[in-house]
Amino acid sequence: MNTKSSPVGSVCVIGGGIAGMQSALDLADAGYFVYLIEKTPAIGGVMAQLDKTFPTNDCAM
Amino acid sequence: MLKHPRFVDMDKCIACGTCAEKCPRKVDDEYNEGLAKRKAAYVPYAQAVPLKFAIDKDNCIYFQKGKCRACEKFCPAGAINFEEKEERLTLNVGALIVAPGFEEFDPVQYDTYNYTSFANVVTSTEFERILSSTGPYQGHLARPSDNKAPQKIAWLQCVGSRDVNRCDNPYCSSVCCMYAVKEAVIAKEHSDVELDTAVFFMDMRTYGKDFEKYYNRAKDEQGVRFIRSRIHSIEEDPETKDLILQYVDEKGLLQTEIFDLVVLSVGLTTPKSLIDLSEKIGIELDEDNFAQTICFRPVETSKPGVYVCGAFQEPKDIPYSVMEASAAACEAKATLAEARGTLVKEKTYPPERDVSSEPARIGVFVCNCGTNIGGIVNVPEVAEYARTLPGVVYVEENLFTCSQDTQDKMKEVIQRENLNRVVVAACTPRTHEPLFQETLRDAGLNKYLFEMANIRNQCSWVHSKEKEAATTKAKDLVRMAVARAQLIRPLPQPTISVEPKALIIGGGISGMAAALGLAEQGFKAYIVEQSEQLGGNALMLAETWRGDQVAAQLGEMIMQVKEHPLIEVFTGATIKESSGFIGNFKTVITQDGKDSEVEHGAVIIAVGAEEYKPNEYLYGQDQRVMTHLEFDSAFKQTDERIKGAKTAVFIQCVGSRIPERPYCSKVCCTHSIRSALALKEMNPDMDVFVLYRDIRTYGQREKIYRKARSKGIVFIRYDLDNKPQVLQEGEGISIECLDPILDRKIKIQADLLVLASAIVPRNNEHIAQLFKLSLNEDGFFMEAHAKLRPVDFATDGIFLAGMAHYPKPIEESIAQAKAAASRASVALAKDQITVEGVVSHVNEVMCRGCGKCVEACPFGAVNLVEREDGKTVARVQEALCKGCGACAVVCPTGAATVFHFEDAEVLTMVEAALKG
Amino acid sequence: MSEEFDPKIVVFACNWCAYSAADLAGVSRLQYPPNLRIIRVMCSGRVNPNFILKAFEGGADGVMVAG
Repeated sequence: MNTKSSPVGSVCVIGGGIAGMQSALDLADAGYFVYLIEKTPAIGGVMAQLDKTFPTNDCAM
Repeated sequence: MLKHPRFVDMDKCIACGTCAEKCPRKVDDEYNEGLAKRKAAYVPYAQAVPLKFAIDKDNCIYFQKGKCRACEKFCPAGAINFEEKEERLTLNVGALIVAPGFEEFDPVQYDTYNYTSFANVVTSTEFERILSSTGPYQGHLARPSDNKAPQKIAWLQCVGSRDVNRCDNPYCSSVCCMYAVKEAVIAKEHSDVELDTAVFFMDMRTYGKDFEKYYNRAKDEQGVRFIRSRIHSIEEDPETKDLILQYVDEKGLLQTEIFDLVVLSVGLTTPKSLIDLSEKIGIELDEDNFAQTICFRPVETSKPGVYVCGAFQEPKDIPYSVMEASAAACEAKATLAEARGTLVKEKTYPPERDVSSEPARIGVFVCNCGTNIGGIVNVPEVAEYARTLPGVVYVEENLFTCSQDTQDKMKEVIQRENLNRVVVAACTPRTHEPLFQETLRDAGLNKYLFEMANIRNQCSWVHSKEKEAATTKAKDLVRMAVARAQLIRPLPQPTISVEPKALIIGGGISGMAAALGLAEQGFKAYIVEQSEQLGGNALMLAETWRGDQVAAQLGEMIMQVKEHPLIEVFTGATIKESSGFIGNFKTVITQDGKDSEVEHGAVIIAVGAEEYKPNEYLYGQDQRVMTHLEFDSAFKQTDERIKGAKTAVFIQCVGSRIPERPYCSKVCCTHSIRSALALKEMNPDMDVFVLYRDIRTYGQREKIYRKARSKGIVFIRYDLDNKPQVLQEGEGISIECLDPILDRKIKIQADLLVLASAIVPRNNEHIAQLFKLSLNEDGFFMEAHAKLRPVDFATDGIFLAGMAHYPKPIEESIAQAKAAASRASVALAKDQITVEGVVSHVNEVMCRGCGKCVEACPFGAVNLVEREDGKTVARVQEALCKGCGACAVVCPTGAATVFHFEDAEVLTMVEAALKG
Repeated sequence: MSEEFDPKIVVFACNWCAYSAADLAGVSRLQYPPNLRIIRVMCSGRVNPNFILKAFEGGADGVMVAG
């Protein structure tokens, strides 16, 4: 089925931090099937550990 | 791919936390950097997604010793499954995006910092957890050795960055200066006493949007001390566990200071596991172990179909990671454009039941949320009370109302009991309303026939010691919700069609990259460029910092744009007017005195920025004084002024980081060093000086700074209160400045002076007004969210790319442009967009056409229109309306209302609230 | 006064900020007196002055508009 003229409409994203999540959202919202792979039990990455973010000092959550 | 078992059935787990409560095994909590403990049955943190528990096999007593299984015994949902095995999965995909992030540098290698032996030496990530309200000290500032509040904290910068002696990381980690400033500011806010904070740094690299302002505020208003010195070692007082730092200050004097806590600002590195992963995937890494890319293709790896984003490409902050993430998505979408939509299915719903003529039949579902609610609020009592309320025909209690089996049951109950309103008393509508509304739709009810009572976040959790009062409050909240449920009505959700085309304003690198990103996905793009040719500022640039010749790459890009059948270019053109909203914009373009109208579904603002023309340092008075862009043009043409130069001087921050223009222009340090190196390569005998304030060669750009010093380029620092003096003297230009290391004046006789002149916004007012966008204080366009939505505007369907957002180099402009194309394509890929039902509505019979609502609307969603009968009335454009209701408040006749938040619907809650 | 004054407070909270802040207070397990009743609105700009008057008329001792 996978001939050269019809690529597979799915994408694999490795990493469930902010970058991986944003990629996955953009792809899924535009009609592609996404496999998001994360090695820990939850997505969120390092940003979930941060207390607040500058310059607005918003809560990182 | 290997799927690790979590030993908890995701479909059954209701996240009640019983397993963690019963689990006897305590282990270091990596979320809190080992500063706190968690159990072997755990969720990483309270807001984790998915909020499902997992068993950590390496620490589980059953797995290690063969006995225990306490979690299995107590789990109310029967979700524990010790038999779960590793699964080997094979995925067949069209593209791969690698976004694995980074690992923080392990400071153990810095043996003189004694990170492992001194309790009060912590890493910056550990300090984030110390500050956090969900951290080991619940947000109270405390130090590890004695849990006492510190009074003096030091940050040591560049630990594991810009260092080839104690580690092998020559690059700058890009983010540590800003996070250290932030941590110092937040620490001061958290502290009960006047906290003394000191940041020890080499160059303060606050180069991002609004960063310099934040730094200035920290320094001048919040009193954070910044000390330019690299600390060699940390000593500890064995009694008090206080830490002693010795350093040489800027005057050359040896200082000794004692701190309660020292934070190591650790850098970003690529762990071994990612090096292995790259090998498996087959992508190349550079010498610092980041994924190899080139400036004109910032997210493409060495392997076709594999894209990279985030800190694995180069150390970078959140907004640039998010930009690259969307850019990588754009590339993947372009690669797979033909296959779009082939593997996804649209969900279908049963037809909606007409409930307009029925009296309210309300079903109330009261959630225990495990013990979260049920452990404090008397749920049976609340449920019993709900039965007595008018309109309520059905009540049930659930252990977890949100679990999948309860949803299935709820659907059944709605149909069986013929319910036409549903009230759920549980957590918060902000997270769970969409889930329950989905169930209503599945059951054939309009999703707006739903209401929630927040008896967890705003009741049981905040009154956990007052069980009776919490139960009373829960009853009140249910009464309020039921009262409102009587009045709420089904709302239509209009759909609007989408014109699958985009208008791109600006034909520089960003505009072109965005157009190509969209066209490659199959969407038509119009580029409007005000000058006569495509290319923008890049037409003048010589080389990128990685050494690519800009002219060749740019020429290829222009060719691609011109030849692409889906891109239409208007040069020498301006935007005259524009109207509409996401999916349906109409814009009039003026070209050669003629107007033409285009229809499009999205807009990308890529108008760029321009080089500041200085009015100091003899600029404009002496031909040998030039700006960066002038230098690049002259260099490309091997101009005599450059070819013949014997001594060249670069002055940094000309027009940047000054009181009238406080931001850093970001690209100038790298540009000057690149140019200085080019001069040295052309003529190794040339004397080249760079006069700077802080060298901001962030990320891997640090490498060319290192190279410049090794080539003998001399760097002299100056302060804003001691700016260099430039005079014409005889044949040459004399530049006088104060050398802070020698502490004396030095004079350079030069025959070439390059000014690293600021990048300033264009006159953006017109475009901002046309599309109702905001500009920041500096005149750059303001994105929807500085961190998480760096290419979106607050207005849907409009996106931002390139230097219109903030000064940035080519690779970042291209990444942001591709990101804008990705975000725009999300809207353009849909046949229709569904508008939320919570919007304003004007009753035209009552409207006097006074226009107060038009003024009050922050989204430009209300307009005055003249009807055919001559009456002027206000009309709401639903696609733009956010349902805030400002119009309803100012309307003097009551003609303007907001669906779902009509006066009566709010007032009945006020009344019900006070009845108890 | 022999009895302690226990005021009834009605709060109008913006969905996007104050209401979510109240949720976050819960997530953080902050404790506060149980005598306030929060009403969610989509924006503090939705709060008609009339709502506040109605609340006082209905017996509220305090009204808070948070957004």
